Amino acid sequence: MKFIIKRKNSILSYRNIFYLLALITLILSPIFSQSSFYGDILFTVFLFAGMSAAWNLVGGFTGQISLGHTVFFGVGAYTSTLLYLHFGWSPWINLIGGGLVATIFGVILGYPCFKLKSHFFALTSIAFGQIMYFISLFWRELTNGANGLIIPFNPGFSNIIFDSKIPYTYLALSFMLIILFVSYLIRKSKFGSYLIAIKEDQDAAESVGVNSSQYKLYIFMVSTFFTGIGGVLYARYIMYIDPASVFNIGISIQLGIISILGGLGMVLGPLFGAIIIIPLDILLRGWFGQTFAGLNYMIYGALLIIMIRKAPQGIVGWLKEKYQPYFESLLRVSNTQELYDDIKIKTKEFVLINQYGKKGDVLLEVNKINKRFGGLRAVKDVSFYIKQGEIVGLIGPNGAGKTTLFNVITGFYQPESGIIKFMDKKITGLRPPYKVCDRSIVRTFQLVKSFNQMTVLENVMVGAFHKINSYTIAEQFAKKIIRFVGLEKSTYLLAKNLTLCDKKRVELARSLATNPRLLLLDEIMSGLNPTELNEFTTLLRKISNQGITLFIVEHVMKPVMTLSDRIIVLNYGEKIAEGPPKEVSENEKVIKAYLG
Amino acid sequence: METIILQLAVNGILLGGLYALISIGLTLIFGIIDVVNFAHGEFLMLSMYFCYWMWALFGVSPYFSLLLSILIFFFIGRIVQKLLIWPIIEEPMLNQIFTTLGLSLILMNGALLFWKADSRAIRMPGLAQSAEILNLRFSYPRVIAFIIALTIIALLFTFLKKTRMGRAIRALAQDRRASMLVGINVDYHYQVAFGIGLACTAAAGALLIPIYNVSPTTGQLFCLIAFVIVVMGGFGYLQGSLIAGIIIGLVESYSGFFLSIHLKEAVYFMIFVLVLLIKPSGIMGGKER
Repeated sequence: MKFIIKRKNSILSYRNIFYLLALITLILSPIFSQSSFYGDILFTVFLFAGMSAAWNLVGGFTGQISLGHTVFFGVGAYTSTLLYLHFGWSPWINLIGGGLVATIFGVILGYPCFKLKSHFFALTSIAFGQIMYFISLFWRELTNGANGLIIPFNPGFSNIIFDSKIPYTYLALSFMLIILFVSYLIRKSKFGSYLIAIKEDQDAAESVGVNSSQYKLYIFMVSTFFTGIGGVLYARYIMYIDPASVFNIGISIQLGIISILGGLGMVLGPLFGAIIIIPLDILLRGWFGQTFAGLNYMIYGALLIIMIRKAPQGIVGWLKEKYQPYFESLLRVSNTQELYDDIKIKTKEFVLINQYGKKGDVLLEVNKINKRFGGLRAVKDVSFYIKQGEIVGLIGPNGAGKTTLFNVITGFYQPESGIIKFMDKKITGLRPPYKVCDRSIVRTFQLVKSFNQMTVLENVMVGAFHKINSYTIAEQFAKKIIRFVGLEKSTYLLAKNLTLCDKKRVELARSLATNPRLLLLDEIMSGLNPTELNEFTTLLRKISNQGITLFIVEHVMKPVMTLSDRIIVLNYGEKIAEGPPKEVSENEKVIKAYLG
Repeated sequence: METIILQLAVNGILLGGLYALISIGLTLIFGIIDVVNFAHGEFLMLSMYFCYWMWALFGVSPYFSLLLSILIFFFIGRIVQKLLIWPIIEEPMLNQIFTTLGLSLILMNGALLFWKADSRAIRMPGLAQSAEILNLRFSYPRVIAFIIALTIIALLFTFLKKTRMGRAIRALAQDRRASMLVGINVDYHYQVAFGIGLACTAAAGALLIPIYNVSPTTGQLFCLIAFVIVVMGGFGYLQGSLIAGIIIGLVESYSGFFLSIHLKEAVYFMIFVLVLLIKPSGIMGGKER
């Protein structure tokens, strides 16, 4: 354990030394790029590593597969070249200009698409790329059609045209390093944390306050901006652009392949991928030439299919997996006190801030809610209220409409009629669900939705980011809550490796981290063994003592009867009873509903 | 002028029927298996090549090859589903997308490798004629293509609505797990669905070859049209694809006459962006499947 903390603080760890050596190698490599073949390869490696890293922000981090990045590449190339040829604008300005115009195209594509299923985005983006190809081909007045545009050879720093390959290579290298650095910053921020949460489970992310369509659009804008700049650099280097070379679906696919081979969603993945793919591509083209035209792409395709099947985690992912077990043995925290020694920043105590009213005031008011699915009335005229500080249980046989009611309250479904008020403000039909979390109502899911590829800490931090913007403070706060739910030993483990019970704790901790007033728990105790049940009952009591109001849907009777102040019983979508646990359990209607 | 407008409408609708057939294959696979087949255009291209070679080498009429092509591609579809899609059916969407993309690269460049980039066409003397009714010209291959395409679509709808297997396939489209629970053989029915999807495309290929040239990149062009239609029709909605196919056929016909034949892609683009901005879920989006 000590090793971990030390590793974080010491500058001269093995890891940092390795990174430093790699960086020096990268910086020195262009010096030898005077030979045109080597220079070509190096420039292309850096350029494509950079652009693939930009692709990776959308495809790898956020899980939105773009097959239209060639659009932004091409738009960057054409914008800069046209501005240069017609108005004599300096390409240095056009670097930004090309990027910005590419971003505009990105918004046109991304804004409508990100509200829909992600299949839709992949398909739409590929069509977008094809269409741009045809437009650039036939809009001759602007693009000179298939003849393309030639940039006259006029060397000079201000033109970004050089006699030697060395300056180009350095330019591409800086481009790549900037994107990798930006990727790293994003990865280690609230923004990046949200993106990965969206990829892992969009519903769960929304439930803790992530506005997914907005964040998807933001990252897409960042990505398209850099891809546009990549297009500008390409145009300055080749000094000739035509529709077939810049609006080419092959480029979109290549950016994806590089990221996949290197490691999807890994900051350094694209660099590793490009180092392998680009030289291979150039060599294959050289070998097969015109006689076997197409063979290189066939190999590409086969490589893609095999890689996806056999090694979807990529090179960096594979390295991580290989060394992960070694780290994990260290990460299984033995002395928890030690882990919390490094908490220096004082975070707010885990209590409600600006509590609404006094204990006993009405917090949630549900009035005559109706929800139907086709001919089935899942919830019929249900009304009830929940008071500040209460624990209310919602029970009923299978199919009674309990989860539907939850989904209506938390904005996942729209009710046909009825009013829901929270703290005297109408929240009926508040959509999408992240808006409900903004009002301090958070839910957990019946089928546990932890972000499986993230560590426990990262999971809980997604919740903590709802109120906290700083990464370090969110980390401290998340650790506090992890300790509160009793998961501190697994802080650095991936959620997928946890037991069901611990996954539920993660979900609970993630919800608590948003600092909610009302917590809706959907069958959080189902599937637990008696020991775990006891622990959970204690935990929920502890949460309630912090002043958080709990609304529990439950099948497991014993804990809900001991915990709840009040029980509401649903049957066939109707409320059939309400009152203290003892009273309800003696109610004839309830007994009838359960025993038939 | 009136005749021209009507003539363009006829051309557009005839073409639209074929487009609908191509897109329905794609949207069927998506709607049921939840996989976007990015190699769809390549299968169309291969079917066109198949019918071309049957004609060039053995003198077989494409309308006879149509039947063979449907059979062959049905089985190819089953094999693709079994070997490539089924093993990754539970994996993230990214893996499925890149698998079909890889397949598309292999097929397109395989065609390039074997048959070079030359564009090939069938020239059958009997097919160049057209009938004239009420001053409107009906070119035979287009009329035949339209009638066969609509027949196939009608058969497909009937199959899905009326037969036991069709109902099982529709159930799978609704909920894979629940279908498994009631004893539907998911693996087998997915194979059939993929096979039917490709068979539709193969039929469209056979109907296209008397009208269009084929080259290794033909698939990409038609794939683009199919994508636009599928998005416009509402992802996974068969009726939507039928309507959108006819609309795109009409648009192509009119824009080719009034603007320029080269601008038709630009017009697709306009429609595409408009659909995205106004109703991104498509014509049928949001209704029941």
